[in-house]
Amino acid sequence: MKLQIWIGLLGLGILLGLMTVYRVYTVGFVVYAKTDVLVWTLPLATYIFFSLTSAGLAFVSSIPIIFGVKRYEAIEKRAIFLELAVLIGSFVCLVLHLGSPLHVIYLLLSPNPASPLWWLATLYTIYLVIIVSAFWRIHTARSSKILGVLIFLIAIATSTTLGWLMGMTDARPTLNASFFTMYFPLTAFISGLAAMLLFSLVTAYFSNREITQEKNTLYNELARILGIAAGLVLILFLWRSIIGGISSTAEGYLAFKNIIGSIPYNIELWLGLFIPSLLMLVPSIRVTVWGKVTAGALLLIGMFAGRLEFVLSGVVRPLGQMAEGRPEFISYMPTISEILVVAFSLSIMLLIYTLGERFLKLEELPE
Amino acid sequence: MSRYAMVIDLQRCVGCSSCSISCRNENNVSEGIYWSHKITETSGTFPNVRFHYIPTLCNHCEDAPCVRGCPTRAMHKLDNGITMHDPKKCIGCRYCMINCPYGVIYFNWSDPHEFWRDKRTLMKGGSSSPAEENRKVGGKVIPYYNPERAETLSGIRAKGIVEKCTFCDHRVKNGKLPRCVEACPADARIFGDLDDPKSQVNKLIGKFRPFRLKESLGTKPGVFYIRDFSSASYPRTKGGI
Repeated sequence: MKLQIWIGLLGLGILLGLMTVYRVYTVGFVVYAKTDVLVWTLPLATYIFFSLTSAGLAFVSSIPIIFGVKRYEAIEKRAIFLELAVLIGSFVCLVLHLGSPLHVIYLLLSPNPASPLWWLATLYTIYLVIIVSAFWRIHTARSSKILGVLIFLIAIATSTTLGWLMGMTDARPTLNASFFTMYFPLTAFISGLAAMLLFSLVTAYFSNREITQEKNTLYNELARILGIAAGLVLILFLWRSIIGGISSTAEGYLAFKNIIGSIPYNIELWLGLFIPSLLMLVPSIRVTVWGKVTAGALLLIGMFAGRLEFVLSGVVRPLGQMAEGRPEFISYMPTISEILVVAFSLSIMLLIYTLGERFLKLEELPE
Repeated sequence: MSRYAMVIDLQRCVGCSSCSISCRNENNVSEGIYWSHKITETSGTFPNVRFHYIPTLCNHCEDAPCVRGCPTRAMHKLDNGITMHDPKKCIGCRYCMINCPYGVIYFNWSDPHEFWRDKRTLMKGGSSSPAEENRKVGGKVIPYYNPERAETLSGIRAKGIVEKCTFCDHRVKNGKLPRCVEACPADARIFGDLDDPKSQVNKLIGKFRPFRLKESLGTKPGVFYIRDFSSASYPRTKGGI
């Protein structure tokens, strides 16, 4: 019964999403909080969130192959499947961000290797094929070292290329920094760890499955890594704020200074980094299921807000002639359609995961 | 091969917006989109204030960041230096808008010229709708549609893709000046070939101290500004303490 209600909810999310798709392609992109200034908003931020979480899950799934820690094979199959589901969710957001998605054929017919976007499109296509192949091999009780290594390498490539995408925009000093090529893989890793913990524990709870002693030890170990990594990211995050915002006199960073007081920024800082790292660094909380679930959920919410904060910090300040007749900063509030795009991609991702959990024996170990 | 550029003489420019209006007509530009626009600045503190007016358009940068970032080469450079856009290759990712430091690229958020597509009448049987008016004069979406624009680019660009100034490449190709240059009543816009040492643009660049917008970014814009308009004078002074 619980499962039927859950599937019904996801079905509703997908139905509302399909209605949004229809509106986007008939009425136009005016259903988004569009202005000529805010050209990248919630759908793109959600795409970045999902794609980085998928890369993070790839890092987690690669631990047994790349670092030779065999006990992590216990979560490999679930991690790879989750990676696939999250990646498909990111594609949904990306397609709904693009003005003319049918023209993507020109990525093949007229490629521009100087563009990070072209590389992202290429890498994600390869990534999808490799994840599907790797999952299929594990599902048929065979493990592939080569595919595992490839997943790891492509996850590094995609997360750092996303950093290149943001980092090459000289026009927007807030985005223009090599910082992103380091920040994105790191935050991808903590997002992947958080998603792994959250989905494993919540699935075990709802399917009334006993968590074995070995699994429990493994989850505690993941939680400890999460606490340390989130703490490191927090330090990096604070330095970004100090160097780029508080202590900078450069005009270009005015947009970032404006963002520092915003809701997404503070959600990222407090809910996404500070509280989860604190929870996971206290041993008595770390060993509890609620502690891990809370930390995982908060971190993912914080990272989601963080992706939006990153995107907005680059676009809130109008440039050149776009500034004519406009205030110095443009405020942003997502529209219902933008929120439904997020709900649509999340519902598809969760539906894929739910079906996988039901029919594909995600608890199985590769041989 | 030519390398086209424009010089804008700010002393001659009177801010009449003829450039913007003629551009709109020539290129069938939709409302809310500005291939030709302006930056207005106010300097000083009341009562000592001054108003500055800088006409703007795509800078046709030599090292154009919009071109570098475009994943499908929809945004590309022509051999004559013009930064051109191919709508059929555009995926609508808007990365060019993120990369352009000048804010001169626009996205078609909905079907262009929505006003002229409206089939509603103000008074039923008493007045005609914009769509009806357009049909009467045989226009294509808009009654003032210029078919010459369609020689090198979609006559009217579709929803979901970007658009920007093309230095009127369709006119330049046929030996004509860009429409904004031709329409300027003060001859404040001078168009020509940077590779021709005798061209007017080269003469003016050499004669005055030109500046380009956000030169520090290294994009090497093809739009140069010379002189400044000021009718003000002041008595000779060394100031004081």
